[in-house]
Amino acid sequence: MMFLLYFLVFGLVVTIVMGLVTSWIDRKVTARVQYRVGPPFLQPLIDIVKLLGKETVIPAGAAREMFLFAPLLGFAGVVSASTVLWANQLHAAGFMGDLIVAVYLLTIPSLSIILGGFASGNPLASLGASREMKLVVAYELPFILAILVPVIWAGSFGLGDIIESQKSFMTAGHISGMIALAVAILCIQAKLAMVPFDIPEAETEIVEGPLVEYSGPALGIFKLTRSMLLFTLPFFLLVLFFGGLRFSGPGFFRTLLEYVGIVAILTVIRNTNPRVRIDQAVRFFWGPVTILAVIAVVLALNGI
Amino acid sequence: MSYLMDVLRNPDGYFAVTPLSCTCAVFATMFFVLTMIYSFKHMKGVKGLWKYYTYLVLTYVATLGVLFSTTFMVLMVLWGFIGFMLYLLIGFGRGDGTPDAAGKALAIIGGTDVLLLLGIVLIWSIRYDGGTGLEGLFRLPIGNLGIKLNSTGAVIAYLCLASAAFAKAGAMPFHTWLPETARNAPVPVTAFLPASLDKILGIYFLAKVTLEVFVMNQAMNTVLMALGSITIMAAVMMALVQHDFKKLLGYHAVSQVGYMVLGIGTGNPVGIAGALFHMFNNTIYKTGLFMAGGEVERVTGTSDLSKLGGLAKKMPLVFAAFLVCSLSISGVPPFNGFASKWMLYHGILESGGRLWAVWLVAAMLGSALTLASFMKLVHAIFLGQPSELSEKAMRKIGKINFSTMIPLAVLSFLCIVLGILAWKIPFDDYFRPEIGPGFAMPGIWHSGIVAVVMILGFLAGYLVYMAGTLKNAREVAPFVGGETLEDHPDMRVSGVEFYRTIKNLGFLKSMYSLAEKQFFDLYEVLQKTARAFGIILSFMHNGVLSRYFLWFLAGLVVLCVVLV
Repeated sequence: MMFLLYFLVFGLVVTIVMGLVTSWIDRKVTARVQYRVGPPFLQPLIDIVKLLGKETVIPAGAAREMFLFAPLLGFAGVVSASTVLWANQLHAAGFMGDLIVAVYLLTIPSLSIILGGFASGNPLASLGASREMKLVVAYELPFILAILVPVIWAGSFGLGDIIESQKSFMTAGHISGMIALAVAILCIQAKLAMVPFDIPEAETEIVEGPLVEYSGPALGIFKLTRSMLLFTLPFFLLVLFFGGLRFSGPGFFRTLLEYVGIVAILTVIRNTNPRVRIDQAVRFFWGPVTILAVIAVVLALNGI
Repeated sequence: MSYLMDVLRNPDGYFAVTPLSCTCAVFATMFFVLTMIYSFKHMKGVKGLWKYYTYLVLTYVATLGVLFSTTFMVLMVLWGFIGFMLYLLIGFGRGDGTPDAAGKALAIIGGTDVLLLLGIVLIWSIRYDGGTGLEGLFRLPIGNLGIKLNSTGAVIAYLCLASAAFAKAGAMPFHTWLPETARNAPVPVTAFLPASLDKILGIYFLAKVTLEVFVMNQAMNTVLMALGSITIMAAVMMALVQHDFKKLLGYHAVSQVGYMVLGIGTGNPVGIAGALFHMFNNTIYKTGLFMAGGEVERVTGTSDLSKLGGLAKKMPLVFAAFLVCSLSISGVPPFNGFASKWMLYHGILESGGRLWAVWLVAAMLGSALTLASFMKLVHAIFLGQPSELSEKAMRKIGKINFSTMIPLAVLSFLCIVLGILAWKIPFDDYFRPEIGPGFAMPGIWHSGIVAVVMILGFLAGYLVYMAGTLKNAREVAPFVGGETLEDHPDMRVSGVEFYRTIKNLGFLKSMYSLAEKQFFDLYEVLQKTARAFGIILSFMHNGVLSRYFLWFLAGLVVLCVVLV
């Protein structure tokens, strides 16, 4: 019954709180970059609560059940991914699943957006969802290569083992680890569909793509899922490249620094780049990024 | 003849039961029954129906014979018989390409049967040095031969046996009959043979040969893993751009075999258990996918993706089954496809060698690409906007068709249950002798707990819905920048061209155009080569006496030179 605790406390509550706080940081920094004041601290929460009170509108011609089921699928995916990560962070022996499980669970939110977009029966949503799918295929290749680097250093897929092996020297300290970290950050930029990889949503062009027909609680759940991912993905990188979270004394500040650092990089990238086209994104991820990732893997295999 | 009498008189000498063959037989029986149920509706109105059912029964009996046989000769005869039955069964298709597809399947499977015979003779000569005579060849046992791959003969023998298994299961380079068959054969036949029984037979035989007859070495394992990885990637890339859903599913039937070959190539218990588990999982979801697709074809009369769409509204149950099977084949946890892929990944990591990262990336990327092509299918068939044809078809759809829904319900139920219970399955009991006793899983995959957590996540999300305004949901026309969709039928997105971006990508573009010219199709290439020889021969034999005389003289000169 331990997993119930992890699920309720960490997977759900802590992830939601941290996700909302992180999305506030993201929005505040963005506002400062653009010489604006930015939202108050509680704004992300207020946005979600407000959406829950709004009317649910279902487009005519949509596959109704799938349309309403999709947000739940994404939410369940991110909650379980987060629970697996937390369980392994706090349970030294390893619990529930390993790296592969986490990677696969973390693709479920993208899957849910695609299915939801398809189900809405709107051509704009179909286009956006197909772009999301292509984006997944594009970043998956370098992402797999990048996460292989910690696996090579730890010699195991176990998240507990990966954390344990970095007790003395973290993966990001090796040259291969640094390259892999850079690649992984680019990939989670795309996983979060942030500028310059917000191609699936492209507000100015296909009006938020897969989300165009969503409103009310369903949209609220999608937005909440996105916020939770904004916490879970950097957390995943912390586990892989920085040896997980540290809670005592100076270690805590280090963790905080690492976490805020990753989020800040994501935010800065999104504020300083224009959106690319989908074919450019595929070329970018399968070209230079994959080459970098391959270099990282080769270096790691040779112990550098 | 006396041999045949002997086989019939004392079956104990020729047939035996092992846990693995028993498990295979249980699955084969299940697919036989499900196909029978499915055929009631789908083969209605076909001429020679009694022949069709006779062939099905004969195929099933022969399959059991292969699974339980302990001598190579009996196995080979039944094996060839199943290939011939497939040829006859494909013939029930009504498409224009049916004769060609049946011929191609027979040529490739029959051709590799000859290799199988050659391999058996080679093993017999290596093992007994010909000292036992034909009697020994007829009684050559499968298993406990322990032939080392240190001589050319042994390597050739292994490759011969493996190619028979590859052709049956549809792995590269003997895969090309499968997509054609999937497109042209009747759906129950595809679901019965290429999707389920042929997979079980091919991979069962490959595992048996690899683990019991030969002693593998690192080089041969690497060859297997490389073939597996290439099969996964190449077939899934081809599947991505298909326009016909039956052909698309056929390419996936090829791609999934790659995982099994890869798993057997890892040579460690986890990888092999993963490969065998993946084989069973694959038969379950692939049969489900073909059957759901067949139902769509029956209702709409087409398998062309561009003419379908929006069927989920009127076929919710078929859609649900199709979705479960698609998520399973794409390896989404907690379905069964993920459980076996997870085991395979661990097997690859354990296999060591210098190239494990390459196999792992091929396997994991292959699964992302599988997801991509199934999202395309889900959109083009069931979601999105309905096409004219599917709107017409949806008006006709009446009662639930039980002859389809019973098999689909059983298969999707198995997809979920095997996925959730994966961590409790005692693989060393079911997969002996391939997986010895004391088999231990590395790593952690508590599928049951993760499934519970996911369900709790759903419930939490559902509570949010309930707290919200779901009850008074309003239905409005979709927003397309102020236009109305009814007035603009050309705004419909069918989904067929979703991956054109990828198809037009530099290096891939040239690969795709080569593949379209069937440059990678061994059968076509051989046929073209044969035709080229034919041209040369017809040039030599033009019927003119003087030219024949010239050849005669040339031959005489050569003969003189050689003799003198």
